[in-house]
Amino acid sequence: MSKIKSGISSSFTAEQQKQRRRRIWIVPLGFLVILFLWAFIGKRSLSAEDLARGYSYTLYQFPLLNVVLVPVMTAVIASRLCDMEIKGNTLKLLCTLQKRSSFYDWKFIHELKYLLIFTIGEGILVPLIGMFCHFTQKLPLPLVFLHVGTTTLVSLVLLTLQHFLSLMSSNQILPLLVGLIGSFLGLFSMFFPPRAARFILWGYFSAFSPYGMDYDSQTRVMSFYRIPFPTETFVLFILFGLLFFVVCRTVFVKKEV
Amino acid sequence: MGIVIETSSLTKQYGKKQVVKDLDLKVPGGSIYGFLGPNGAGKSTTMKMILGLAKPTSGTVTVLGKTVNSRNRLSILKDTGSLIESPSYYGHLSGRENLQVICTLKQVPESAIDEVLQTVRMEKQQNKKVGQYSLGMKQRLGLAAALLGHPRILLLDEPTNGLDPAGIQEMRELICTLPSRYGMTVLVSSHLLSEIDQMATYVGIISKGSLVFQDKLASLHEHSKARMKLRTTDDRQSFLSLKHSGLPVEIEKENLYLLSDRDEDILHAGTILSENKLGILRLEEQQKSLEDIFLNLTGRSISL
Repeated sequence: MSKIKSGISSSFTAEQQKQRRRRIWIVPLGFLVILFLWAFIGKRSLSAEDLARGYSYTLYQFPLLNVVLVPVMTAVIASRLCDMEIKGNTLKLLCTLQKRSSFYDWKFIHELKYLLIFTIGEGILVPLIGMFCHFTQKLPLPLVFLHVGTTTLVSLVLLTLQHFLSLMSSNQILPLLVGLIGSFLGLFSMFFPPRAARFILWGYFSAFSPYGMDYDSQTRVMSFYRIPFPTETFVLFILFGLLFFVVCRTVFVKKEV
Repeated sequence: MGIVIETSSLTKQYGKKQVVKDLDLKVPGGSIYGFLGPNGAGKSTTMKMILGLAKPTSGTVTVLGKTVNSRNRLSILKDTGSLIESPSYYGHLSGRENLQVICTLKQVPESAIDEVLQTVRMEKQQNKKVGQYSLGMKQRLGLAAALLGHPRILLLDEPTNGLDPAGIQEMRELICTLPSRYGMTVLVSSHLLSEIDQMATYVGIISKGSLVFQDKLASLHEHSKARMKLRTTDDRQSFLSLKHSGLPVEIEKENLYLLSDRDEDILHAGTILSENKLGILRLEEQQKSLEDIFLNLTGRSISL
């Protein structure tokens, strides 16, 4: 038991040591700044009516922005952490010192750490924007938690893909390109029929959005309505995510270095 | 010390191509085993299979008396250090920080770093970022990483590749000191015969995936004994006369050879030929070099 424990802690510590001077926390922080500016600037001059539905608007807007930002961010995070192994040709050495699966998992967990900075930060941004913009609507705290949870889940699945691609590619351009294309695909998927949109992994942020929006082009008025949580889709997505992780991990573990 | 690394009928096949064929490698403990072969002969693949980085198609690998499998691989490898192909490093970290990562993974105290840095003579460059190191320095750092934790076996795959002559000499000297200094067994691969000749005590020659020679280096040298090339008035008749009198002779490509360079044998051959009224036109000493032996064994040209 203590042997396993020391193996786990050494893998964790080694991963930590590798990240010295990489300043990877700047990536999620940078994306949070972009998100904040994007959301805040658009809400500087809201009417009293808009302020009364400020949080609904924010919780509708954030999943849409996530579709654009998160695929790129997960690609950058995974690439920053995995590239050091590819560039330094370290996989051959590491595979003689630790289990491939352990290396794969701990690297993923460290990427998750940076992802959580973003998703939790996004959760904090919701009341922060409300405070700066003087929203009069009561903060729907359970929906904020739900938003953080679903954003983390969808981001995790995207991170699974990026993590796998970054470790398997000798050149990081490919995974970064996949992130970029995913971002566009996710955006376009919102215009697809709902059934077709379900096949686009990057578009799931909007699938779990707590609010929908109606826009009356004649009166040019937006109204937001609550969308019931798609529990079935959520469960299926979790199952898919788990299966996807296991498949990617198995392919990596079996790959000869 | 007995055999510390042993492979039995080790085979690796990629698609239809057999890269390593029925390899029976035996590395004696405390030796520097030179694993020699032309480029693409299967040296790296064999070393990767020993380390469990590549899965053998068939055959077994035994290290320190234990047959390596996926479950015990890491515990067995705890007693080994390796440097496979190009050096492994984190360019954004200093040399010392790189070694700290390895120490953590090997669960070796960081106090061991100073000793290995001293061994590879890198104390002064330890705080410089490895991205700024020369290839030679990276190789030395790789060797330092392999030495951490005093492994009993060291596997070095072409450790002098890409180094300048001074770097090659330095690396060679370093490797030569390891068995006596730390009691290690070193398995070192190279495509350079001269290099193995200067380092190894045992040698294994691999060609097209098969082991074509394996013994002490001294035994390989025995193959390089000198012989005398004779040209006489009638080579065929001379061959028969010399053979009849018990001298070691052979005819190769219509040339007559006396397979000895001892003075008494040469004198004896001269006397016999003279008695049989056969005249000696030319007498030439021929030394079979290690390169010739290598060529004979592998049937391929060699980098020198």
